[in-house]
Amino acid sequence: MTLLLIVLLPLLGALVPLMARNLPRGRLAWLTAVAPAIALGIAVFHLGDVFAGQTPQFHLPWISELGLDLALRFDGLSALFVLLILGIGLLIILYSRYYLSGEDSLARLYSFLMLFMTAMIGIVMADNLLLMWVFWELTSLTSFLLIGYWYQLSEARKGARMALTVTGAGGLALLAGILVIGHIVGSYQFDDVLAAADQIRSSELYPVVLVLVLLGAFTKSAQFPFQFWLPHAMSAPTPVSAFLHSATMVKAGVFLLARMHPILSGTDLWFYIVSFTGLATLLYGAWFALMKQDLKGVLAFSTISHLGLITLLFGFNSQMAAVAGLLHIINHATFKASLFMAAGIVDHECGTRDIRKLNGLYRYMPHTTILAMVASASMAGVPLLNGFLSKEMFFAESLDAQLLGGLSWLIPALATLGGILSVAYSLRFIHDVFFNGEPKDLPKTPHEPPRYMKLPIEILVLICLLVGILPSLVIKDLLVSASASVLAGPVPEFSLAIWHGFNVPLMMSGIALAGGVGVYALRHHLYSFQRQFRARNALLVFEANIQRLVNLAERSMDSFENGSLQRYMLWLLLTALLFVGIGLLAVPQLSGEFEQQPFDAMLLTGAVITGLAGLGTAITHRKRIVSLLMLSVVGLMTSLAFARFAAPDLALTQLAVEVVTMILLMLALFFLPQRTPKESSARRIMRDVLLASAFGVVIASLNFAILTRPVESISDFFMANAVSGGGGHNVVNVILVDFRGFDTLGEITVLGIAGLAIFKLLNRLRLFMPSSDLDGRSWSPDRHPMILATVSQTLLPLALLVSVYIFLRGHNEPGGGFIAGLVTAVAIILLYIARGVDWTQRWLRFPYQPVAAAGVLIAGLTGAGSWMFGYPFLTSSFGHFTIPVIGEIELATALLFDLGVYLTVVGATLMILANLGKLTTPHRPTKEKS
Amino acid sequence: MLDIALWISIALFAASLMLNVFRLAIGPDLPDRILAVDTMYVNSIALIVLFGIQLNSKAYFEAALLIAMLGFVSTVAVCKYLLRGDIIE
Amino acid sequence: MPTWFYPVLEGVIAFFLVAGGIFAFIGSLGLTHLKDFYMRLHGPSKTTTLGVGCVLMASMIYFRATTGHFSFQEMLITIFLFITAPATAHLLSKAALHQKLVADIRTRNVPDQLETASEPDEANAQQTESRLP
Repeated sequence: MTLLLIVLLPLLGALVPLMARNLPRGRLAWLTAVAPAIALGIAVFHLGDVFAGQTPQFHLPWISELGLDLALRFDGLSALFVLLILGIGLLIILYSRYYLSGEDSLARLYSFLMLFMTAMIGIVMADNLLLMWVFWELTSLTSFLLIGYWYQLSEARKGARMALTVTGAGGLALLAGILVIGHIVGSYQFDDVLAAADQIRSSELYPVVLVLVLLGAFTKSAQFPFQFWLPHAMSAPTPVSAFLHSATMVKAGVFLLARMHPILSGTDLWFYIVSFTGLATLLYGAWFALMKQDLKGVLAFSTISHLGLITLLFGFNSQMAAVAGLLHIINHATFKASLFMAAGIVDHECGTRDIRKLNGLYRYMPHTTILAMVASASMAGVPLLNGFLSKEMFFAESLDAQLLGGLSWLIPALATLGGILSVAYSLRFIHDVFFNGEPKDLPKTPHEPPRYMKLPIEILVLICLLVGILPSLVIKDLLVSASASVLAGPVPEFSLAIWHGFNVPLMMSGIALAGGVGVYALRHHLYSFQRQFRARNALLVFEANIQRLVNLAERSMDSFENGSLQRYMLWLLLTALLFVGIGLLAVPQLSGEFEQQPFDAMLLTGAVITGLAGLGTAITHRKRIVSLLMLSVVGLMTSLAFARFAAPDLALTQLAVEVVTMILLMLALFFLPQRTPKESSARRIMRDVLLASAFGVVIASLNFAILTRPVESISDFFMANAVSGGGGHNVVNVILVDFRGFDTLGEITVLGIAGLAIFKLLNRLRLFMPSSDLDGRSWSPDRHPMILATVSQTLLPLALLVSVYIFLRGHNEPGGGFIAGLVTAVAIILLYIARGVDWTQRWLRFPYQPVAAAGVLIAGLTGAGSWMFGYPFLTSSFGHFTIPVIGEIELATALLFDLGVYLTVVGATLMILANLGKLTTPHRPTKEKS
Repeated sequence: MLDIALWISIALFAASLMLNVFRLAIGPDLPDRILAVDTMYVNSIALIVLFGIQLNSKAYFEAALLIAMLGFVSTVAVCKYLLRGDIIE
Repeated sequence: MPTWFYPVLEGVIAFFLVAGGIFAFIGSLGLTHLKDFYMRLHGPSKTTTLGVGCVLMASMIYFRATTGHFSFQEMLITIFLFITAPATAHLLSKAALHQKLVADIRTRNVPDQLETASEPDEANAQQTESRLP
């Protein structure tokens, strides 16, 4: 439980600065520091267990189905990182209080910092790979907020975006890798994965896992060729840079290498990928650190270089190298954090970070100079400082790497080269900034910073010295336990002595120091050499590439999604054609085992008429009303076909829907342009004709093939259970109101909502009304022909009678609420057509919205009613009654449900049609005298 | 006898449908086409009734009923469209 | 019902069926062959309606004989048809007049002699079709 607190306390701590934002800055800083301090205390409290070789664990099921649990562990590696994160984090909190100017919100920075801290602690303590990934992406997100803290600066926004893009994309690769691991192992729990390490390494998916996981690690810790985001993350406030680039963000990448070391390392592939990436990064970073004129730029590239060094160490596949890597993680965190803070002080006091202007600051800030000198010396690997220890181990390990065969000597040689460059840029950092003449036109006159702004640096430098002088005493325990978890086994004996006697590594150190001084002395030649290259701003390159990618995406999108419905249909149909065509090609014979039904002249006539009408619809499509007439013939013939092939329900529905659609289309057509220009070229028409014919052929063949074969369908069940289960002989209706009642309920709800939406959209909309038709004839003055008005009034009761009849017998014979609803709606619409809106609404005073709502409500309540009897939702019960004339009907809860359907259909249909019709009423010019 | 009569009747109605489609296709004016469609509705009623007699089932008569009613409504709607443009006013 | 009655009934039904078919066919033939819209309107609105009425009659007799019940549906259909057919025809002719459709000279409701008197021009008189005024 206390483990969970280590993660949760910083998270809670993120709220503290927000609530205390109005307090004085000093108190705000102290309050913010409380939560991480307690967390650090808890971590230290657990250290004893960890050193004793135990691993405290915490497990809380979260989404176990996915293999994602809230599992935490606190082994040596976690302990090492937690101490770094929380310890340096606390120092950063103190430092930021002085660094940030009065205009910037300290509370916001603190809040982001705490969130970031939570995410980092989550990564290092996660005992579940998926959980680790979740926190991993959280660090990408929160670092985006931190880097973009000065969001008013374009530089900061772009840098933040780039960091998020690169690390976030790497995170996705990592997720893929983790999923593959989960696929191999069957669990994401770290212990399980560790136990299956051999299985993973021997799996044929191992290269995939390795590359994906390494992509995640390399993007995060800015390894070559993904290093470009890190220098631009320097547009963040310096405390953020100090935190992100010493102990946390970029260290997450090397943490992942360490975490995965026992699982993925030990193969040649690991060696080649990891060590070469590390080596390239080491040299690349060191060279550019020497070239940069920006103080933070120097530190950024030196960070890249040191991360390369750590990566290279983990790549060596040797136990001692891993130990050295861990040691360097600690050392780098301490000296780099202090150097960043020193750079921040210089920036803060001088107002610039340009090394060409900064000179001779020793005279103005001697104290800071000494602190920076010690930290730099540690970075350069000067004896008696912690950097020396790890560098010495690094040189020793580089000598042992033998995998390159005859070229193995290159590795120590290049390592020494890296050492030389590292000494040179460390020297430059000190000499160029703090000595070397007088400062040139600084914006401010520098002086020593406030006392407590230096305190964090002093603490860190003290650690550098302590570790450097008394390594065994200070960090041996931590290092051993961390190594134990990285090596997942016994830790080799090693001594952390400063003096190992005269040996090759010492000689390499000497060469590095001497060479570094030499390179620094010759630096102006190197600068002029570097100037021959065109300076490339990674930010611009990145933005340009992103832009190019976006353009490419847009172009390819445009070729598919260009707003043309015809184009979408083309793709859809072509795809369907392709797949169905392939399927049909695989069928040996089109006709199945069923006998074909006799073919008579009547069927032929029907087919011919339907085909002609369909063709006519397409041909006359530019004369809309003619096309509509043709279409209605297609509808009529379809319903005749339904009737002919024993599907009366379908025939009824088809007819009703047909007429309602026709009225709707005519209402809409009136507002559309009456003339359609010829839009298709001959080629396009040819294409469409070919496509349509091919599609027709394929679909017809498919239908024929399916209908002549026996198909196991669910309808047999419905047939067998309609009477016993639903109490009705009309299977279609029983399915609608009983078996699939839930679907129907959803559908009528959608219908009601659609009606309401149309009502809302059309409300108060007034459209222009043409005063004459296409040929310029003004409209007939007779608004409501009297014969029609009389006839429609006569028909209304008859139509209502029909709809009640269809509704009541629906459960046993063709019919039902849906059809009855449409019939009622059509009858009322006829009244609207014949007598106009005003008259109809005066006589038929029923509001459609409440009717539709009541329908949905009745249906829903009917379903809920079965709860009262202890049955599941929408269980129906029924009994049969005989009513004179109509015959036996069934009074079932299903009938009530059907009533709901009926009311919804009537309400929604009228809501749509009547409101569409009402659009023009008030402004209609008419010659009729009323 | 009944069967033969039924077949003759069905054939005549089918032929009528074809004639209606012909008129629908050639027009020449909208009222002609509307009239053709309306006649098709009426002829379909008869066809459905004839199917009913042929199959000795009354299950299809609701369809005929609906065609009689809905066909009228759609013809009225199209006529109103020609006369006034706006069918519901 | 006595057994001798059935063949008679069958005959009656068959008669109605065939008569209905013929009427409907004639109506549709009229729709196809007559010269102008106003003439064509007669076929479907009168003859075809009568034809369908015959078929409905046949159906009524048939189902009365086979099931023993009087069937309402045919009755309803008949009522619908006979109410709506005139209304449809009326509206259609209204629409046609509104559209000023081409009318044959014989449907222009002009007496023969008047027509020849008002149109002395030989070329005009020979033109059988022209726009209504």
